[in-house]
Amino acid sequence: MEPVVDDIEQRHPSPRATFDRQLDRVKDDVLRLGARVEQALERAGRALIERDPDLADKVRWEDAEVNELQRQINTEITAIIATQGPVARDVRELLALYHAAAELERMGDYAVNIAKLAQQLAAEPEMPILKQIPRMEQICREQLRSAMRALVNISEEEARKVCERDDELDHLYSSVYEDAMQLMSVAPEQARQATHMLFAAHHLERLGDRVTNIGEDVVYLATGQVEDLNP
Amino acid sequence: MTESGDLMTVETEPKPTSIVEQSDGEGPTIRLMSSQLELDEAGGIAPAGGDQRVQMEFADDEVVFELDELSCFYGSFRAVRDISLQIPRNKISAIIGPSGCGKSTLLRSFNRMNDLVDTAHITGAIRYHGVDLYADGVDPVEVRRRIGMVFQKPNPFPKSIYDNVAFGPKVAGFKGDMDELVERSLRRAALWDDVKDKLRQPGTALSGGQQQRLCIARAIAVEPDVILMDEPCSSLDPIATLKIEELMRELKENYTIVIVTHNMQQAARASDVTAFLTMGEDRAGYLVEMAPTQDLFTRPAHRLTEDYITGRFG
Repeated sequence: MEPVVDDIEQRHPSPRATFDRQLDRVKDDVLRLGARVEQALERAGRALIERDPDLADKVRWEDAEVNELQRQINTEITAIIATQGPVARDVRELLALYHAAAELERMGDYAVNIAKLAQQLAAEPEMPILKQIPRMEQICREQLRSAMRALVNISEEEARKVCERDDELDHLYSSVYEDAMQLMSVAPEQARQATHMLFAAHHLERLGDRVTNIGEDVVYLATGQVEDLNP
Repeated sequence: MTESGDLMTVETEPKPTSIVEQSDGEGPTIRLMSSQLELDEAGGIAPAGGDQRVQMEFADDEVVFELDELSCFYGSFRAVRDISLQIPRNKISAIIGPSGCGKSTLLRSFNRMNDLVDTAHITGAIRYHGVDLYADGVDPVEVRRRIGMVFQKPNPFPKSIYDNVAFGPKVAGFKGDMDELVERSLRRAALWDDVKDKLRQPGTALSGGQQQRLCIARAIAVEPDVILMDEPCSSLDPIATLKIEELMRELKENYTIVIVTHNMQQAARASDVTAFLTMGEDRAGYLVEMAPTQDLFTRPAHRLTEDYITGRFG
């Protein structure tokens, strides 16, 4: 059975074969970029919790690869637009992928910032990490995975869910803010640690917004309508 | 019905027989009839989806052509089925669609060029500024003076550049300053600077792109209201093509332009609104979607449009 299908396809090549191949390659690269950023985030979070400056260092060094992959994706997309003249959903998809790659690169930077904070925290006297932070880091990674699935499958439904869940991160961040403020007032000697943790939570909250932006891109890609899903 | 007066022959198609060769479908009959398109009140695109046809509607004083359930036949073969649409004034309207879907047939119905094919007839109506073009008493020669046409291959007369432009007005009994009219027409066609020193040379000695601009100047010289263009750039190189597209943008200040093109990027680049036709099971072309060009090429409302412009079908 299979060979027959192959035969037919060979005799009648799709007029989109080249374009589809190029598009698939970009999608693969964006997925790889997403996976790298997710890994960087996981490591940065672990470095923070486990006071591991070496792991944090790894995150900082490997960010160069994230940046390089994003540049490569940009080049690929630019070439497709220049040579294939994509229209309609095709051009929306390429733009969504282009923008998603930029957002992922920025998320990689947040992971680096968190890794730096982990190093600074590790240099301070030890104190427990505010419990909301590991939770935020976990939600960010789940959100990131969902957003990448939504992007690759062009799932409007999943993209909307990603955007809705951003509120959870916002609430956790507010809670970290309150706890950090309280800590600073009751234990001024721990103000430095409290500030580092507040900044880490802030980076995670910002990272969540970037994920939401990808969700918005997917909705635009699926519907052709621009919506603000994180007002 | 099929009288082909001098004016028409001159101004539009020197060799009427080519119409048959170039017509869509094999049958030699055309007839227009239909269009049942639904537009929304705001003049925007009706909500997308399903098999619903998508249409645009313009204010009454903006409408140059209004097709009402137009079908075009060649004998018993229906080449175009039930097309209803409006062509807006001082805009460039593009008609796109797969080969054989009746684009050219539709275009030719706009100035009764299909009258030249014996078996061609239409049902439904085309109103031009509210006047039924196919009503008794309408003079097809006058129709073609007001609604000029430019063809796929540049077809200057084997005469001088000057005479190519002056011919139509002469036949129409123009009594004014012919030199001035020729210069104005050539200027409007962005050809004056190229040819002002060689007006007595044969038009056929010009380059392809220049010849096509000469044909446009010839069409303009009789002061039409509409210029129909049937694949005007298909025999031109990319630079000449872009020049014609720029020229079209200038011309739309004074004229209404309808262009049929196989080149989707050309429609995307050069037009204001785009109509997408496709073929049904009966091989008759019908309108799927008409929309602002920018919308049609970024978020087409109809699945068939999306599939066609992205190369998934057709």
